[in-house]
Amino acid sequence: MHDAYDDHLSRRALLASLGASLGAMGAARLLPALAAPANRGDPIMRTIPNSGEAIPAVGMGTWITFNVGEDVGLRNKRAQVLQAFFDNGGRVIDSSPMYGSSEEVVGYCLKRVENAPPAFAATKVWSLLQSLGEGQIEDSRKLWGRETFDLMQVHNLLNWEGHLETLRAEKAEGRLRYIGVTTSHGRRHDEMAEVMRTVPLDFVQFTYNIVDREAEERLLPLAADRGLAVLINRPFRRKELFHRFERYPLPEWAAEFDAANWAQFFLKFIISHPAVTCPIPATTRVDHMLENMGALYGRLPDPAMRKRMVDYIESL
Amino acid sequence: MIPFDSVAFFANLAQYNEAIWPAQVVALALGLAALVLLFARTTWSSMLIAALLAASWIWMGVVYHLQHFATINFLAPVLGIAFILQGLLFIWTGLITRRVAFGFEPGVAGWTGLALAAFAIAGYPALAWGLGHAWPELPAFGVAPCPTGIFTFAMLLTTLGRSPVHLAIIPLLWALISGTAAYFLDMPLDIVMPVIGLSTFALIVWKNRVQA
Repeated sequence: MHDAYDDHLSRRALLASLGASLGAMGAARLLPALAAPANRGDPIMRTIPNSGEAIPAVGMGTWITFNVGEDVGLRNKRAQVLQAFFDNGGRVIDSSPMYGSSEEVVGYCLKRVENAPPAFAATKVWSLLQSLGEGQIEDSRKLWGRETFDLMQVHNLLNWEGHLETLRAEKAEGRLRYIGVTTSHGRRHDEMAEVMRTVPLDFVQFTYNIVDREAEERLLPLAADRGLAVLINRPFRRKELFHRFERYPLPEWAAEFDAANWAQFFLKFIISHPAVTCPIPATTRVDHMLENMGALYGRLPDPAMRKRMVDYIESL
Repeated sequence: MIPFDSVAFFANLAQYNEAIWPAQVVALALGLAALVLLFARTTWSSMLIAALLAASWIWMGVVYHLQHFATINFLAPVLGIAFILQGLLFIWTGLITRRVAFGFEPGVAGWTGLALAAFAIAGYPALAWGLGHAWPELPAFGVAPCPTGIFTFAMLLTTLGRSPVHLAIIPLLWALISGTAAYFLDMPLDIVMPVIGLSTFALIVWKNRVQA
């Protein structure tokens, strides 16, 4: 599938992409200057309020992108994407049983990446019946190839009362480290807010991006008040933000917060919200992964700059 | 809410085609046989056509959706059951109650049916090939839902007397679903599916009214 955004790589991303591609072929050591951008500093980290644990502020989603079935060629390409993610400071991987073969492909890729830090493994339980959820979580453990998940979330609030009972029990047994609930596309915010207010959780996940900012009104302040970590889905509205804005120039002032391309512009807007822990953009491509992970480094926009970013987007 | 992209779809289709080979050749031969049987216009020829359509839909329900595409599509169980149901409807209506009589009659519906059958057998796969989906990524007649759905519409237009509308409902729903894939999966060929589905459904209703 051609994406016009693909044709507008920044020079930096192009060089990094070349380096990563060579790296995936085992030649990165020959070209270290290309494979690893210099002087980028430490990655931006965010703290999980309930534990104080720090995780990188950019993660990786797997909706559609890792659902490649049994095709070995496509699986190996996703392993390259995952390698680029880890090589550039990433750790948080989010998936779901709803995503077809994505969990299995993540498990396949995790066995093939080299010199990777421990992944922060986040997935979901997605079934109408609580009794089916327990088996589904076991299936996820086998597919990922791990005994313990860092984060287990109730997908789209589906039977959240029942599944949270299961998740709390598993957390007490030490088989899960954190529990949470998710929604997306701006749906069911009333119910989400009610759950956040009344139920003990570690994480929540919902949609937030520079166009969809409803979460700023209620969910993000509530998460801060309740001490909840926040994963952000649909940071690019899938590809729509690129389709809408790529034709316009990235403003020169984006350099003031070290955004070299639209991906970093969009992601840094999200990361710079104080209640956000980690957006989880998904991609099938190493060069796009490198662009995304670039947002993990450098300066972030301050509140005045965030307003300028919104004003610019709304003026286009 | 389609959980895969076109690359994953065609990779899965390629694996399906390679796994079931040479079922495609058998399906093509049976499709051509069904076309010939349209001109026999007997009870047995009609029952054979119904049996072939039933076998094709049940095959796609079980093998295409439940076995192969369930890997990447959480909706595959629902689609698989719907396709199996369509096959059972052909058995019930064409073999048990015999409330449909397949056979060619000259007229708008009949000629449209023959044209659609030709498109399903040769035109759709050829266009897919022209758009870059060569074997094994080819959606083959009789074993892939879109060309088989078009062929089903063709058969429902070539009936002697009224055409049971209930046999067109699941194919129409599939045609509409395929139309969304044309948009979300960047598969321009499938834009013909809702066009064919809706126009054929309207033609079946019109045909039935004219013959009432």
